[in-house]
Amino acid sequence: MSSVAEVLLSARSVSRRYGRLAALAPLDLELRSGESVALVGPNGAGKSTLLSLLAGSLRASEGRISVTGAAKVGWLPQRPAHYGRLSARENLVLFARLENVGDPERRAAELLERFSLPGDRPSAQLSVGNRQRLSLAIALLGDPNVLLLDEPTASLDPKQRALMWQETERHVSEGGAVLFSSQNPEEVERHATRVIALDSGKLAFSGGPGEYAVWEREP
Amino acid sequence: MRTLRAAALLTRKDLVSLRRAPLVVILLACYPLLIAGLVGLVAGYANARPRVAVVDLDHIRHTTKIAGHTYNIKGAIDEVAKNVRISWMSKAEAEQALRTGKVVGVITIPPGFLTDLKSIIRSPTLEFETARGGISPRVTQQMQALVYNLNRKLQESYLKDAIRYISLIRHGGRASFLGSDYDVLGIDKARALLLKEKRNPSAAEVTRFLDTAEAALRASQISARAVAQPIKLAIETNKGRSWLFSAQMQAYALALTISILGLALAAAVTASERDENVACLLGRGLVSKLSLLGAKVALATIISLMVGTGILLAFGAIVEIGGITGGQPWGRVPLVLVGVTLFGAALGAIGTLIGALAREGRSATLGALLVALPIVLLGLVPREIVPPAGVVSDFFPFSHGERFFGSALYDLHPWATVAPEALWLLGLLAFWGAVARFVLPRLTEG
Repeated sequence: MSSVAEVLLSARSVSRRYGRLAALAPLDLELRSGESVALVGPNGAGKSTLLSLLAGSLRASEGRISVTGAAKVGWLPQRPAHYGRLSARENLVLFARLENVGDPERRAAELLERFSLPGDRPSAQLSVGNRQRLSLAIALLGDPNVLLLDEPTASLDPKQRALMWQETERHVSEGGAVLFSSQNPEEVERHATRVIALDSGKLAFSGGPGEYAVWEREP
Repeated sequence: MRTLRAAALLTRKDLVSLRRAPLVVILLACYPLLIAGLVGLVAGYANARPRVAVVDLDHIRHTTKIAGHTYNIKGAIDEVAKNVRISWMSKAEAEQALRTGKVVGVITIPPGFLTDLKSIIRSPTLEFETARGGISPRVTQQMQALVYNLNRKLQESYLKDAIRYISLIRHGGRASFLGSDYDVLGIDKARALLLKEKRNPSAAEVTRFLDTAEAALRASQISARAVAQPIKLAIETNKGRSWLFSAQMQAYALALTISILGLALAAAVTASERDENVACLLGRGLVSKLSLLGAKVALATIISLMVGTGILLAFGAIVEIGGITGGQPWGRVPLVLVGVTLFGAALGAIGTLIGALAREGRSATLGALLVALPIVLLGLVPREIVPPAGVVSDFFPFSHGERFFGSALYDLHPWATVAPEALWLLGLLAFWGAVARFVLPRLTEG
């Protein structure tokens, strides 16, 4: 599948430094349509830095990131990202307008229903799971082809996790690509088609989930 | 167009968020008003009487005799020291009080003061020591006024005596000198006596001399009376407004309230983008840095206009209801609001800069307050007294706003002040806006 699938997003020798500290050493990466790539590694390995760079939220110190054609990128940061005093609906409408989505109210209503979110309560009053789902709904507003998820299930209960993975699988099955970071080996094994491991800002492993399981067990 | 649209969307979002946090808005509006009131009170009491110590090294008694007349020198000092609070102290007490700042100056009556005063040969000297800086020049002026008043009081007394003696020589009467009473014939009676000696040629000569002496003495008496009553300043109170409702107070209240509110609000809402973790989403191309800056500047401007209008209406209502002299210049309100717009925008740019530099909302608000207070206080220091304060103050909006508001409200011809101050505010908006724009990536890149 990967040999024929379209490359949606690619990074060439992309790196990030904070002063003298290299948060991410130069790295090459491609995300193809229908892929679900897991990004693993210990805390401080550079996973969030790489995702922020690919999302366009952080400028790369070196290298180039390119998005193919009309492909769009949606991003779910590690911490929920929305305005607490606005309701879920108001958040979705605002971000839809900022993204120039046609008919923002209708798109917001669709996503509220799809994620079973209460529309009119201030989002600060939502449960942690609902806040995370609201952030995912915001990431999906512009109908992105590539979804970047930074530890999407870290603070969710099992039921909420299942709902979250249901959404990402749906996205992949519709021809999109997902790059998610995770500390949970079971999730990696179950939901990733490819694994990228980072350590101290450097690429430590890249391959299938089976190979990764073997690599991880090696001393 | 897209930049404007995004800025408008974010401004609207901030306004909705603020509307849902009314307590924060009330607190933000009331706190600066409270500060404005306190600054007004302090400024109002700037004319309060400073405390001055008097050291009497000449051991002046309460009453003393000069040229046969009794004077109360201590009483005279207390009486003429209207603009300072006099405290009589020993030399050691006064030195300690000056060192510790309990008094702002020490007047010493040196040994021999009274002897010099009585001799009328050498001018007696009062010694004055004062602390450095601060209100010292004002206290020195007060002391000069005190010495002038003391001299005038003594002079008045001497002249009254002189006039009385001239009158005695001209018209005769009963006088007393060194404890003994005696009769003085006087020129009038002397002339009458000489008239009886018409045949005596010497009497005619003496009469001519008396006429000349009488004319000279009359002229001296008139001059002495005139000198005894020098030019006086007639002071009429209740002709103008009280300090509380003065143009300056209104300008201070506007400038101070908007300064603190505008800075704190712009800084807090800018930092809140990071607190809510939304800055990273906005920074990935959803919103340009210029839109983000524009949104925060617009918010600070809108809130400044709302609060500024509220202050003007409140002042105006009090002035109108209280029937205070001059009334509220309602026709000038639109011009003031133009100034409020520029002022709020310039403050919004500085607030955005603070918010972008701060780690989170609380430190942004604290940072804004820490920046606002020195800006305001620098603006209150008269540039004639501390010129560097004026130069530093020029780089911040407070003093320009305060001058704009004061002039727009009450100057007969405000344009000479309002136009350059408006240009200053525009320049500061551009300058601080450029700095904030440069720093904003810190916010969006986490």
